[in-house]
Amino acid sequence: MSTESPGVARHEDKSAFGFLIVASVFFLISGLVALIIAAKLHLPTLLGEVSWLTYGRMRPLHTNGMLFGWLLAADMGLCFYLVPRLCGVRLWSEKLGLATLGLWTFIILGAVVTLSMGINQGLEYAELPLWLDVLVTVAWVLFAVNIFATVAVRRYQQMYVSLWYILASILWTAFVYIVGNFATHFTSGVNQANLNWFYVHNAVGLIFTPLGLGIGYYFIPKAAETPLYSHRLSMIGFWSLAFVYVWTGAHHMLHGPISQWLQTVAILFSVMLMIPVWSLVWNFFATMKGQWHQLKDNVPIKFLMTGTIFYLLTCFQGPMHSLRTVNAIVSKTDWIVGHAHMAVLGAFSFFAIGGAYYALPRMLGTRLHSQSLANASFWLWLVGGLSFFVSLWIGGFLQGLQWNDATIPFIDTVKFMAPFWGVRLMGGLLMFTGILLFFWNVLITYMGRAERPEPAV
Amino acid sequence: MLNKIDKSSALFAAGAVVFFWIGGLLTTLAPPLLDESWAKPAPGLKDYATLAKGGDVHAQMVLKGRAIYVREGCWYCHTQQTRTIEADTIRSGWRDVRSPVSTPDEFVYDQPHMFGTRRVGPDLSRVGGKYDRQWHVAHFRDPRSLVPGSVMPPFPWIANDPAELDAIVAYMQSLGRAKDWRPGHDYEE
Repeated sequence: MSTESPGVARHEDKSAFGFLIVASVFFLISGLVALIIAAKLHLPTLLGEVSWLTYGRMRPLHTNGMLFGWLLAADMGLCFYLVPRLCGVRLWSEKLGLATLGLWTFIILGAVVTLSMGINQGLEYAELPLWLDVLVTVAWVLFAVNIFATVAVRRYQQMYVSLWYILASILWTAFVYIVGNFATHFTSGVNQANLNWFYVHNAVGLIFTPLGLGIGYYFIPKAAETPLYSHRLSMIGFWSLAFVYVWTGAHHMLHGPISQWLQTVAILFSVMLMIPVWSLVWNFFATMKGQWHQLKDNVPIKFLMTGTIFYLLTCFQGPMHSLRTVNAIVSKTDWIVGHAHMAVLGAFSFFAIGGAYYALPRMLGTRLHSQSLANASFWLWLVGGLSFFVSLWIGGFLQGLQWNDATIPFIDTVKFMAPFWGVRLMGGLLMFTGILLFFWNVLITYMGRAERPEPAV
Repeated sequence: MLNKIDKSSALFAAGAVVFFWIGGLLTTLAPPLLDESWAKPAPGLKDYATLAKGGDVHAQMVLKGRAIYVREGCWYCHTQQTRTIEADTIRSGWRDVRSPVSTPDEFVYDQPHMFGTRRVGPDLSRVGGKYDRQWHVAHFRDPRSLVPGSVMPPFPWIANDPAELDAIVAYMQSLGRAKDWRPGHDYEE
């Protein structure tokens, strides 16, 4: 990867730091909401007399809070950190970056208020009202201007693969977001559902995936202090992702009221997704060859490589779910919920957290307050995450089999889930504790930054 | 070629967008043009929006009920699609009669669509007429009084508002009626 030359002006990292802090606050809040709605599956009347505290209002708060308040904000913060470093120049405009942060924070707070009030457009991940959609678009353009302007004046001509993923993601996100939040207003029925799934699928596939992978491509070699294994392999991974991912939205409607040929197209391309995934995972693993001992003490590497394994698993599940026989069992069950959480939380949040543990102290010119707290947060997330994913896979798969036996009353298949939901809630508690430790560690690192100065490397 | 692309951000950006739009256009714009059933309403499908504008009070209630269904996030836990899976047609069925599978022409006027992704509770695509009004009223007030073990929350602010209660019940009773498949009468229209 490109090296940072000593003559480069020092990075201010104000926007990068601000985005990560705001993201951490929303991580904490969305985590709390998650615990409440998970508990509601055991106590349906919990907080049940108050409309804005019911399951149907808090669930979109959880999903939007995690996706846009936590993960996208954290990814944007890490982009503001790594893009200037890969370009050998300062961020184009810290002022613009901070303005983007202000707007983003306003949007998420606006989302909290509107969703609690029951203002909901009725489309998954596109629940926010039109005026907030417009603001999101504006914020994204501001972010794009800053990143593209930084890349345009870069000192290293060759663009490292992280930059490809980030630049492409900015462009794709613009289209994906417009289709999912604006084009849907002019359609209805199956046509609208098709656009909705195009958006939902590509929100994960062409927003969080490329941003997460760009972050992984930067921080894995950095944190392990070892060169990337193969530039050519990263090219294969990138261009196959660019071509294949966008075709697969209709696999969310398999067996549903949507054209059979479109379902088949979505299945074919879903299986082809293994090309970009396996080439990337091969590259990350090969980069670690001879460096695996670092898994023992290097906390960012723990997160980044565990995230890679979760990415491999979740992207193996995806193509398998899209096969009609498997889909007939797992679709609409909690298996899918386990799968979605492994993607967003297991893979992409692990990348973001690993990157944050590495970058935050360096932004502040200090050391992390506590490596052992960071290590504890890793184990909490790993054990909590695995118990969450695995319990929902087992419960969901068995529930799917029960649904296919129509002699079993539906309500019996609901009661059957209680122990699995219990394990999920316990896993959630562990992960929430992990968020608390992460938040505390970052806070103390910030407060004590002057006492633990670390010269910039 | 590839070496050129990773040195020029303009060439790179053009390539990434073109690759994206091949699949993007073929899976979003092309399907409704190729499959006419997406936009052609089923013979029995009611266009509640037009009826409501024409002063039809029942249609206005159905639409109001649908708005409540969207507002309260009912669609996070209930799907509205009888899939091409045998058990779905039995579960959506009426006593011993199997339900027809859901087809695009039954949903032409749905805005927003309510197909859903998760079945915490049962599918509602054919629920219209299966339970009477009293059942729905009691169920919104306290789901577990009728279905022990249910995890559905109670909705007291709807149950205590006669206008909202009438509307959500009218919407429930309207679901799945675009196809005439049930022999005999049902609880109510």
